[in-house]
Amino acid sequence: MTVINTMNRRGFLKTTVAASGALALPGIVRAQDAYPSRNINTIIPTAEGGGADRNFRAFTSVWKNKLGTEFEPGYYPGASGRVGYEIYMGKHEPDAYSLIFGNMGPEVLNWAMQAPDFDINDYFYFGQVDVDPCCLFVGAESPLQTLDDVIAEGKKRRLTVGTSRMAHPASIGLLALGEKTGADFNLVPLQGGKGTVAGAVTGEVDFSVLTSGSVIAAGESVKTLLVFGKNRVGERLNNAPDINDAFGMDLPEMLSARAFGIHRKAAEDFPDRYEKLTTTFRECFDDPALMEAYLATGGTPEYLSYGGAEECGAFAASMLELGARYKSLLSGA
Amino acid sequence: MDNTTALLFEVFLETASFWYIIVPTIFLGLIVGGIPGFSAANTIIILMPLTLAMSLQGGLVFMVALYCSARMGAGIPAILVNIPGTAGAAATPLDGYPMAKQGKGQQALSISFVASCIGGLLTTIIALAAMPILARVGFYMHSTEMIVVMLFGISLIASIAAQDMVKGLIAGFLGLMIGSIGTDVVYATPRGTFGFLELYDGVPLIPALVGLFAVSEAFIIIEKKLIVTHEGDVRKPSWHATFEGVNIALKRWWHIVWTSIIGLVIGVIPGAGASIASFVAYQQSRSFSKTPELYGTGHPEGLIAPEAANNGVTSGTLVPLLVLGIPGGATAAIMLVVLQYHGVSFGPSLFENQPKVGYGMFMAMAISYVLMIFTILPLSRYMSHVTTIPTIYLAPMIISFTLVGAFVPREYMFDLYLALGFGVLGYIARRTGYHVAAILIGVILGPLLEKYFLWSLKKSDGDIMVLFSSNLGNILWLCLLLSLVLPAIFALQRKRKSQGIPIQ
Repeated sequence: MTVINTMNRRGFLKTTVAASGALALPGIVRAQDAYPSRNINTIIPTAEGGGADRNFRAFTSVWKNKLGTEFEPGYYPGASGRVGYEIYMGKHEPDAYSLIFGNMGPEVLNWAMQAPDFDINDYFYFGQVDVDPCCLFVGAESPLQTLDDVIAEGKKRRLTVGTSRMAHPASIGLLALGEKTGADFNLVPLQGGKGTVAGAVTGEVDFSVLTSGSVIAAGESVKTLLVFGKNRVGERLNNAPDINDAFGMDLPEMLSARAFGIHRKAAEDFPDRYEKLTTTFRECFDDPALMEAYLATGGTPEYLSYGGAEECGAFAASMLELGARYKSLLSGA
Repeated sequence: MDNTTALLFEVFLETASFWYIIVPTIFLGLIVGGIPGFSAANTIIILMPLTLAMSLQGGLVFMVALYCSARMGAGIPAILVNIPGTAGAAATPLDGYPMAKQGKGQQALSISFVASCIGGLLTTIIALAAMPILARVGFYMHSTEMIVVMLFGISLIASIAAQDMVKGLIAGFLGLMIGSIGTDVVYATPRGTFGFLELYDGVPLIPALVGLFAVSEAFIIIEKKLIVTHEGDVRKPSWHATFEGVNIALKRWWHIVWTSIIGLVIGVIPGAGASIASFVAYQQSRSFSKTPELYGTGHPEGLIAPEAANNGVTSGTLVPLLVLGIPGGATAAIMLVVLQYHGVSFGPSLFENQPKVGYGMFMAMAISYVLMIFTILPLSRYMSHVTTIPTIYLAPMIISFTLVGAFVPREYMFDLYLALGFGVLGYIARRTGYHVAAILIGVILGPLLEKYFLWSLKKSDGDIMVLFSSNLGNILWLCLLLSLVLPAIFALQRKRKSQGIPIQ
């Protein structure tokens, strides 16, 4: 007996749906593979509305178009950035869908003072957005009006120096200056840029050291005498000299350098994703829209500066080394 | 008419033309100020795209109006339901809430609004007139002097402890210990954090504030039917009660004047804020009152002092911002950022290069305070209804609102649990007769005192005599001593007079 299988209407529809599904499947799989298929979470270890936030918004407003996805910031301030890093390393999957946007200078110095719960080699920075060199400045009414005044007075008595916090690149710059010149400096952490500027202006301390962006913002209330790196803005930092030029030193630039970081495992397990992140990141610097966005958020144009994984790695390593060298002075240990 | 007067008049007209921004912003400020965790600073951050899209003057008027009204808004829940919206309003419920419990919520609100507006307006005018002099205050008030200012506020613990010395001191000491949790300000060494990273920056103020005051209060009022102590005290809101409150406040105009000036002077010191000013003003008000025993029981002067002072701070914080380019507080710092977007450069030359911006900020503040008194005062009649909401509805609302408020500033679940923990602590303290305010004073002022103390020691390489190293500091020490001793002498005199005993 021959059985002839005839297809009824219901059977036809089922088969059609199944076949369509089978045909569509590779497309779906392909779509899932196409990175990025969803938003990228970015941990910012400082408060919303701060400098890092403004910088992040400016940069990602351009990067999102190159990458084809949105960035979702999550703010985790506290413990000088430590909270944000612990959350990033402890609670976020290493899948290249989560990044951290930190400040390589002070935040890496943290690890030199007190090791975090995670291995610091388990993440790395791959994209530097800008560099902001630290500087030494006095209040407009300070009796110390030149660098020579500072050094001479520092040899007579122990000068009080305001700093944002002890473990800060600016503090290291000052300690290096003290070592070189024999001037005696007593660092007083004034808890943040605002307090550090106020300390110098009002005479709470003899002078202060800080990242230059905040010093430029303070306008004529302050006068910059020395930059712990290259003076990229000339007159706006009172044409203050580079410490290396002024004293024949070879100190690495003491910078606040904001950069994107990623889990090392994500870069190793998903090299194509990492490649896309780095190439699109680099492309942003060729787009004039980035400078416009950076300026619109109050950024100093001269400070917008690309750095790849290699440059970031070298800078982070120098911070760790200097942090270890000055640890006893910066941590009281 | 000289140039400055003509310019001021022109700026006044221009600022007044932005009334359509000021009026809605006043209501927005009242809401954000009243919700714990929200503030003018974080609202300006959230609305930054809007602020940047506005013209320079429009944005400036918006920020200033929001700043003033948020400060005033923080006092409303502090009075009605014992929830200070910000740390600056933490001293407001000490006498405001007892008034609300006595069924005088409407009067208390009116007193608070009048004290805030007059205090704010007066200090704005003083700040405008005496800006160059006031800007110098920060040059003399350094960490050593600020230690004494902190002690003025902290000595309130002793006043509170006077009712029950042992319990008051234990509560204050507990507060100071809680306040010392976190990393130290010099070397960032963690202390008492129990391994929680969330405590590295110290116990966050808003969760502590809402927990100790609001959550514990919600637990207490659950046991009652209404906030007001006796149902018989529930009065039908009337315009009469509003005018009664206005009258009470106006009769104490001198009190408003001098407590708001305390706020102004503390406000111009960079880093010092409304929480310090309101406690110091309250302590001074109590110390020199003829009826100190009434403080804490719903005494109008105990409400006027912190409210006038914290609005005095508002105008004070603008002085170092405009004259020196140093923001006096968090909101002023955000204003600095926004105005820099518009190309405004602060500092000594601001009044030469862009005088309209400098004068415009004070003018916006003055106009906001004037408009506020007319727009908000009538609302006291309706706001006071809160105290008549059955607690079955009110308590869950308080708990949910305040827990959201505890979460908002840092968005950590940890802070929410912390608020609940402080709520339980506050509840136990209330039930066992320990004064919650004494704990809170320690939590708020303790870390500030420690900060200034450690800075002084660091500057002097550990020499304790640095505390007496400045002339101004020594004068302040003397004032502190007098403000602690004189009230006791006055009280003794009054007692002897009333008993007819001749003073020796």
